[in-house]
Amino acid sequence: MKRSVRAFAAFGAVAAVSLLATGCSSSSSTTTPTDKKLSIAFVMGAESDPFFQAMKVGAEAEAAAEGVDLIWQGDPKNYSPETQIPIVDTVLAQKPDGLVLIPTDPTALQASADKAIAQGIAVANVDTHVNDLSKVVTFITGDNADGGAKAADALATKIGYTAGKKYQVVIGLTSATATTNVARLEGFKAQVAAKYPGIEIKDVAYSESNPEKAASNVNNWLTKYPNLNGIFAIDGTNASGAASALEAKKLTGKIALVGYDAYPDNVAKVKSGIFTALIAQVPAEEARQAIKALVEYIKTGKTSVAHEVVIPNFAIDANTSDADLAKYTYVASK
Amino acid sequence: MTDSNQLVAKVRGLVSNQASILVGVLAVLTIVFTVIEPKFFSVATANNILTDWGSVVLIAVGQTFVVISGGIDLSVGAIIGLSGVVSAYVMANVMGYTSGTPAQDAYWPLLVGTIVSVAVGAVVGLVNAVLINKTRIVPFIATLATMGACLGLSVIFSSGMPIGGPNDFNLIAAMDYNTNPFSVVVILVAVVVAIAGLFLHKARFGLYTYAIGSNSFAARAAGINVEKHITKIYALSGALSGLAGMYVYIRLGAGSPSSGTGRELDAIAAVVIGGASLMGGVGRIWGTVLGTLILFTVQSGLIMIGVAPDWKKVVVAVLIAAAVAAQTLQKKNGQR
Repeated sequence: MKRSVRAFAAFGAVAAVSLLATGCSSSSSTTTPTDKKLSIAFVMGAESDPFFQAMKVGAEAEAAAEGVDLIWQGDPKNYSPETQIPIVDTVLAQKPDGLVLIPTDPTALQASADKAIAQGIAVANVDTHVNDLSKVVTFITGDNADGGAKAADALATKIGYTAGKKYQVVIGLTSATATTNVARLEGFKAQVAAKYPGIEIKDVAYSESNPEKAASNVNNWLTKYPNLNGIFAIDGTNASGAASALEAKKLTGKIALVGYDAYPDNVAKVKSGIFTALIAQVPAEEARQAIKALVEYIKTGKTSVAHEVVIPNFAIDANTSDADLAKYTYVASK
Repeated sequence: MTDSNQLVAKVRGLVSNQASILVGVLAVLTIVFTVIEPKFFSVATANNILTDWGSVVLIAVGQTFVVISGGIDLSVGAIIGLSGVVSAYVMANVMGYTSGTPAQDAYWPLLVGTIVSVAVGAVVGLVNAVLINKTRIVPFIATLATMGACLGLSVIFSSGMPIGGPNDFNLIAAMDYNTNPFSVVVILVAVVVAIAGLFLHKARFGLYTYAIGSNSFAARAAGINVEKHITKIYALSGALSGLAGMYVYIRLGAGSPSSGTGRELDAIAAVVIGGASLMGGVGRIWGTVLGTLILFTVQSGLIMIGVAPDWKKVVVAVLIAAAVAAQTLQKKNGQR
């Protein structure tokens, strides 16, 4: 089994492997930071996630601006500590000056963070964090619970929420264990309980990261709940699937749809009225601040970036300015 | 007395018939779901199930050929993602059609996209065949490797984000949500499946497939070019997966790298529910068609009757196990 997993990783990581190779060759020549370029390793969750792809754009831009080498690494597909820990080990063997780590598990990755710090490598956390943040230079994250609350507000506005009336809403998740999904769901539920008690969450379903399954879930809901008022599609995959299901049934604009993640394709659908609103995170900004903090810290022993930074989510709707659209739309890395 | 004996024999013949058992299972499921949630018995639900059926039955039919030949193809789900992304890239970035293209202008790029999609799938299928025939890697590992490669390539092509392109959502919509649950693309899929069925059951192609799966040494001794036929089978499975990639593209209006996630397991489940043996040599297209239908009837039904999402997977797993067990028992009875 282990062998087959390795074979899978080896063949699947065509991109990652080649990146690793370039990373190896560039960092092997940068072991002494005083007379050579600084190198910052960035170990994220899963290469295939657009969120991390958008983050890569910010990381590359900031690394170029600061004049440091960036070693970008992560499993091609799996967001899990089993695949991430060996990647962190490999990266640490390249002796970077700094490490931006997105721990896929706060406990499992603690030892990796401790090991890096013991080697004198400055560590920052982005998006998620290890349990012990005391020796981490900074932790920068988006506020997913706030995003969930903003989604509830957008949905309530679209359906013309009136106190005393009842409304039916369903929520598409990717899985029960995705921590960002859970935080958004809790933020949504808390806001509904506080401000919109007439909104009833009729059902939740999982798409298992497959947009076609997300579309299928929405199709079934539309049949089961003919009076459905709104859908909260909690991530990019669910957003794509839900939008296409409404288009096929010619229900766009009739049922409020609030999605998540500003993929260019989804942002275009805000303009055309398919999405009521799209909650965007700012992954590129998170990466930028983390690299900035590490470079400052390595050079001067301190940083102007706070120890914990929470960047709020942003709700894109039809009235969002072009400047904000440009700022929040995820850009594909090349 | 003779009449009743004939009747018993008839009933026994019907019960031991694979297809009638599957139809029976489907009927029972439909009745149970309808009793709990009357809305289940509707054109809308039929349309939901058929729409889900369309993509998976294509890869499941390809998988049927592979499984009958004694192999397995794990790359089918990843091909859906890769072929969808590549054809979306060609339609949007090469041909210049976008999601804003009017529906009536979308047919030409969609046709080109279909050709690209099928070609991408066929190429991956050929790579599978080369790995299996030339390097002697077992199909499980060979197709696991191409699955990983396809996943990686689809992310490289798309940066992990869906690529929106031209579409006419009427192609995937029910012809009439009150009377006719079929969509244009589902009918096209049914035609492709029927042709594949003729190939498997009425042509030499199918005969060779069964022969290789039953005993590849005997097939070779009988003069069948086993390597050549295996190549054709994996290329067919790849091409059908590419077609499924285009189907999902039309469904979503975008090529998404994650659009085939986990579908290889759905396809294998459908083939096994349909009565094919993973040991090779046994299987029918009808079985796969009904197996896929059962799979999505269950998934739709569980949402319709409001089973908590955490329990859905368990229920689906139990149903698959029950379906396969029932068939094994029925085969034993048939042998007696």
